[in-house]
Amino acid sequence: MKLREHEAKKVIKEYGIPVPAGFLIRTAAELPALLDALGDKIVLKAQVDVGGRGKAGGILMADKKTAVATAETLFKKEIKGLPVKEILAEQQLDIQHEYYLSITVDRSSKQPLILFTEAGGVDIEITAKEMPGAIKKVIATPLMRDLPPFMLRELAGKAPREIMPIINKLYRVFLEKDALLAEINPLVTTPQGVFAADAKIIVDDNALGRQGFTVNRDLTDREREAEKHGFSYVELNGAIGVIGNGAGLTMSTLDLIEFYGGKAANFLDVGGGAESERVMHAVRLVASVPSVKVIVVNLLGGITKCDEVAKGIIAAGISQKVIVRLAGTNEAEGRRLLTEKGYEMLPTMDSVVKKAVEVTA
Amino acid sequence: MIYGDKKTGILVQGATGKQGEFHIGLMNAYAREVGGRGVVAGVTPGKGGQQVHGVPVYNTVKEAMSDHDISASVIFVPAGAAADAIMEEANAGIETIVCITEHIPVHDTMKAIAYATMQGSLVIGPNCPGLLSPGEVKMGIMPAGLFSRGNVGVISRSGTLTYEVVDELTRAGIGQSTVVGIGGDPVIGQTFVDVLKEFENDPQTKAVVLIGEVGGNLEEEGAKCTDLPIVAYIAGISAPPDKRMGHAGAIVEGGEGDARSKIARLKKNGVPVASRPSEIPDMVRKLFCGC
Repeated sequence: MKLREHEAKKVIKEYGIPVPAGFLIRTAAELPALLDALGDKIVLKAQVDVGGRGKAGGILMADKKTAVATAETLFKKEIKGLPVKEILAEQQLDIQHEYYLSITVDRSSKQPLILFTEAGGVDIEITAKEMPGAIKKVIATPLMRDLPPFMLRELAGKAPREIMPIINKLYRVFLEKDALLAEINPLVTTPQGVFAADAKIIVDDNALGRQGFTVNRDLTDREREAEKHGFSYVELNGAIGVIGNGAGLTMSTLDLIEFYGGKAANFLDVGGGAESERVMHAVRLVASVPSVKVIVVNLLGGITKCDEVAKGIIAAGISQKVIVRLAGTNEAEGRRLLTEKGYEMLPTMDSVVKKAVEVTA
Repeated sequence: MIYGDKKTGILVQGATGKQGEFHIGLMNAYAREVGGRGVVAGVTPGKGGQQVHGVPVYNTVKEAMSDHDISASVIFVPAGAAADAIMEEANAGIETIVCITEHIPVHDTMKAIAYATMQGSLVIGPNCPGLLSPGEVKMGIMPAGLFSRGNVGVISRSGTLTYEVVDELTRAGIGQSTVVGIGGDPVIGQTFVDVLKEFENDPQTKAVVLIGEVGGNLEEEGAKCTDLPIVAYIAGISAPPDKRMGHAGAIVEGGEGDARSKIARLKKNGVPVASRPSEIPDMVRKLFCGC
């Protein structure tokens, strides 16, 4: 789950990384009381869960006189379709140089990867393409709480010495906050010292509980409802609902729909050992999506009991057509139950998907 | 075959739990069928002295190791205890550790794998179905009925999609040497590169089916560094960006790890890529006849 900028800044500030003076406001009327603490030049940053907000007009500059009016303007805006409910009002920094610092989970080495470049402030992907030598990389070991000084020296190079403890502090944040990404872009030098002008933290969804989060904000309402039943669910926007067991098989079913020229409405992985009640909830959930005209059920596995699945589909009692591919224990009984009620059961993944695409064509 | 054979003695952690008990039964039914040793001991802290399907249960891995000849393990403990289970086994000297558990926080996995590597142990998974070498050994939860013995190795990030492909291969008369589910998490112990190295040293394996999905670039990294003939399949061509597709590791992030670019890179390296699972058997056959 992505933390918002003000949340990420609060976290890194707790670890001793300097951030600009700033306040979170929910109305422009809160601003006058804060102006003395913010100084003459102010930046107003919309706290919306979307990337590229600066280019989309979500960051506005102001001074003491224009701050309230500018905040009012920003509160009325929509940034990439999202309303602005919160603004982070911050002092403008007198920036001398911009650096980039990030820590991610490296799949290849299976360890944390730290990136630092003196060519910060621009899109890191562009820097990576145009001057790959400018980005310094270090692989750390997750078994140490602190980075050894040599790693800090390798990363910081000729950058000011105050940068090195900041890298280590961000590494602590990364380890202790279960981060998949901890990034400061830009990390800036000013006459007053080094500051994190922006900060980004993504927390591992599998660690939200122990990090004190009760809901995953990255999910839609229906995705959250699915999570309660233990399903993995992703909303798409086609006409064919999809229920599968296992992430790979379900993804592959979606791909096959595209291969045959159809469009999937969703991804729903019911997980292992699906009993009738779980299957019923899954079918009802997918059927509740307005765009769904037909549902493909593709379940395969040694421990999936086909009669249970059949009972679940029948119990759901939905109005849309359900086309089923089942392989596993009690297959014959499952087929008997379904055909008795007039459901279509086909033998292969290709055949169910083809049929569903025909129905929606 | 790789990672073990009939003679491999297996330990199960989380032996007295619902999953552990169920799969000890299935693993040992398979061992009886092929004349292998199967699961010889279980571990659940505080349940030492009990038995599960006739398999003795111990409180610690070290206690089990002192009574039995064990070189591999399968972990079924809950996510909060799984990293500890991996480290306990590595510390006790188990060579091959298969971790079935899903939803382990990535930082726990990173630490456990780093520790296991220091101890000289291999980790398969987490969030995986384990492995099966037809006629030899089953370590994990794969449905044995779909498999047949042969010369094709299979490496996959998925569970049921692997069964789908194995079923297709078996129906087409193409047997398997070892089928390895490496896991759907962003950080896993044995990656495509590691398993391909094992297959290269295995005289039984003549070709490999590589089943990948969106997220990362380890499929391409693996395919680049082997001389074995490969057929690949990548799931998730329809996956939208920044959404986790069931597996914690199946996510297109920052415009990276999408299926189309992965497929393009594989093809650029001369690897044939199937556009759907049912095409795989024919493509494998073509590898063998060289046409």
